[in-house]
Amino acid sequence: MFIDNQIPEFDMYENITTTTTTTSTTTMASQGTSLEDFDQAGHMCNNWSPVVDWEALSAPNGDDLQGLIQSMMDENTPSESHYPSFPSSGTFRDVLSHSISPESQMDHEEFTSATTSTEDAKGLNLIHLLMAAAEALTGAHESRELARVILVRLKDLVSPNEGTNMERLAAYFTEALQSLLEGTSNNNNIKNLFNHQKDEHHQSDILAAFQLLQDMSPYVKFGHFTANQAIVEAVKDERRVHVIDFDIMEGIQWASLMQALVSRTDGRPAPHLRITALTRGGGGGRRSIGTVQETGKRLAAFAASIGQPFSYHQCKTDSDETFKPTGLKLVKGEAIIMNCMLHLPHFSHRWMDSVASFLAGSKTLCPKLITLVEEEVSPLNDGGFVGRFMDSLHHYSALYDSLEAGFPLQGRARALVERVFLGPRIGRSIAQIYRSRGEEKGGHCGTSWSQWLDNAMGFSPVSLSFANHCQAKLLLGLFNDGYRVEELGCNKLVLGWKSRRLLSASIWTCPEYSNLE
Amino acid sequence: MFHAKKPSTPTMNSHERAMCVQGDSGLVLTTDPKPRLRWTVELHERFVDAVTQLGGPDKATPKTIMRVMGVKGLTLYHLKSHLQKFRLGKQPHREYDHSSKDSERASVELQKHTASSSGMMNRSMNDVQMEVQRRLHEQLEVQRHLQLRIEAQGKYMQTILEKACQTLANENMAASGSYNNNKATMGNIHHGIMMPPDISTLKDFGQHQLPLSFPPLQDLNIYGGGHHELDQLHHQQDGFMQNNDNLLCLGNNKKKRPSNNFCYDDLRLQDLGGPTTSQDDPFEDENHNRIRLAPLSIDRGENDIDRVSSDHLYNTKQIFDADNVFCEKKQLERPSPKRINPSVMVSGPMQQGRSSPFNLAN
Repeated sequence: MFIDNQIPEFDMYENITTTTTTTSTTTMASQGTSLEDFDQAGHMCNNWSPVVDWEALSAPNGDDLQGLIQSMMDENTPSESHYPSFPSSGTFRDVLSHSISPESQMDHEEFTSATTSTEDAKGLNLIHLLMAAAEALTGAHESRELARVILVRLKDLVSPNEGTNMERLAAYFTEALQSLLEGTSNNNNIKNLFNHQKDEHHQSDILAAFQLLQDMSPYVKFGHFTANQAIVEAVKDERRVHVIDFDIMEGIQWASLMQALVSRTDGRPAPHLRITALTRGGGGGRRSIGTVQETGKRLAAFAASIGQPFSYHQCKTDSDETFKPTGLKLVKGEAIIMNCMLHLPHFSHRWMDSVASFLAGSKTLCPKLITLVEEEVSPLNDGGFVGRFMDSLHHYSALYDSLEAGFPLQGRARALVERVFLGPRIGRSIAQIYRSRGEEKGGHCGTSWSQWLDNAMGFSPVSLSFANHCQAKLLLGLFNDGYRVEELGCNKLVLGWKSRRLLSASIWTCPEYSNLE
Repeated sequence: MFHAKKPSTPTMNSHERAMCVQGDSGLVLTTDPKPRLRWTVELHERFVDAVTQLGGPDKATPKTIMRVMGVKGLTLYHLKSHLQKFRLGKQPHREYDHSSKDSERASVELQKHTASSSGMMNRSMNDVQMEVQRRLHEQLEVQRHLQLRIEAQGKYMQTILEKACQTLANENMAASGSYNNNKATMGNIHHGIMMPPDISTLKDFGQHQLPLSFPPLQDLNIYGGGHHELDQLHHQQDGFMQNNDNLLCLGNNKKKRPSNNFCYDDLRLQDLGGPTTSQDDPFEDENHNRIRLAPLSIDRGENDIDRVSSDHLYNTKQIFDADNVFCEKKQLERPSPKRINPSVMVSGPMQQGRSSPFNLAN
């Protein structure tokens, strides 16, 4: 399924026939609503959404609307109807029947036979409801009332702790939409919406979930190890290395780097390693500083235990969490590495401006290497809120599936990881998408950070080595077969689950750096 | 523990295997008046192993190689020239990459069937072989490093968790003190529930959990490529176990980490204050409460802790109210809350345990 590097894995909006065929074979084997089902739903959206008359839907008092919503919300309708998950309401089906080409009709036929279980039907139903709610919230014909009604129904249907992947996932998306609804209607500042709630997990929960996540999936290690390998290679002739870490968290990334530095085979002593961790100047700053300090102690102890020369510093960001390169202590002759990890366990992806200031600030520092790990989002810019909402749903659905494959029987373990990491992240990214929906194209919201580094900032890619590639493959070998690694361009490794890209690690350098040497 | 490990065991094994096949010395010499050594595939392999073991072609010297290889009849002279060639060969021969498959096979054929070995021929064969070898060795190196890195990360993670458990334990201590005064019933709950499960669950965990879940997969040597067996297992088995076993194949520390990960659902989460963290927990304010209550659920063998945490709470209140007096007395002499040993409870996938020189939690 992961065939070609060049083709964007975007079967949700394209490739209708191919995915459908795979679906019919795989769905039978898997229980519940799986990623493939989701792809299915994606096609359906694709086929339907342009045709669906949203005006009619959002007209507050239309009879059709009542009927439609009733039927959408009725769990029992689907299974015997032609489209298992879809309302048998006259209105909607009339609309649909116009829209479905013979070709796609076939797809659906096939699809119907594949998804006979009610669970799948329910999953699809949830997707439709979510999409409808998102559309109602932001579409051209905004109807908060409709959104509210749908969300109420959704909340009845799902719980973040129970049910299939799709049901649990839908619960978090419902919550995210609900927050948007409340936030917007109260004219609250959406920016702060997700910053307070949800982060309040007990430290031990976070650690347990972190540990679980590491064991269940290669996300954490893939990002860290790929970055570290690149660093090790870049500094092999250096005597002093200075890593500036955007979000150090517990410092877990650096244990393996130190290990790698001291066990170099060329026989030379390990270079001196200096790590500067950013601390947040803004809200919650104190806690952040405390954690960062503790991390420093822990890292120093670890370094001492393996004989790695090491020192540690902090660099405080401004109160608006922008990064100021002038706050750094720099030593002449050291190689500077900018390390920016934005993938799953890291929380700081939410500070878009902060990330931008960090990466932009690195320009003045002329780093030898910039390591960036980020989630892969759709390159689709024109989908608007609903398109990106659905893409996000797709993305997290893949994540959920991959976690389930890692721990099929440990439902509670997964629930913990979901609650601690995924739920808040979903909330934030939906809020993020919502916030940035006006300002498409502007800024970097529409694109990935790596594209931004390339196009806007003019950093040059650094080729990934054979060893790095090899390491990623070996690492994935330790986990479920569904994981894939692919190389994008010369400097980017992508971790995927089945046909969906999840996160990417890319390495860059400052173009001036090579001139300096 | 954190220092580079010499890949001693695997290479030694392959030496021995090579030894068996080739007899004692295993050297093939030409019948010229001035006998030249024929570098057979096996011999070269041993040579490469030795070089790797010694830290690469630049560090290895003919003398040390001779010692490591330990082949009778091999002289410094042979090794010197071979090492020289090998060092040159280490420089990337990219052009071979594309054609290597075919030419490699060809050269192997040649080597097998052609008794006469012209110098020219030998060199190009060596080049190809060396390139292949180089890649292979790089891969092995990467694998070795990966293992070390995973270990390092696991160990580091463990220190974090140990610290967290310590903090928790302290919190619990402080908390139980404050409860004595005004909330005797609460204290009872803690007390009544905490003590037995701490021990019993640990036992459970150590004794039957582990054999229950482990045996069928142990022997899989997946890493080399037994992927078919693995595929089957995917469908039958908990994917997590498959993780473990994969890891085992990569690493050598099999015995150490049997059970650690299987406690996720049954133990670890609860112990760390896991899924009972529902919003409507009546004791939301005091984190330690939910942590203490958790073992109860284990004790009772409930599966759906998430949902029923508050029910439990009420039940237990009733149950333990009766023992009020008794417990209150006991509470005073309660030992420091002995949490389940974190290193047993929660540990990185590669934990090495006691022998680690890295021990933060003093």
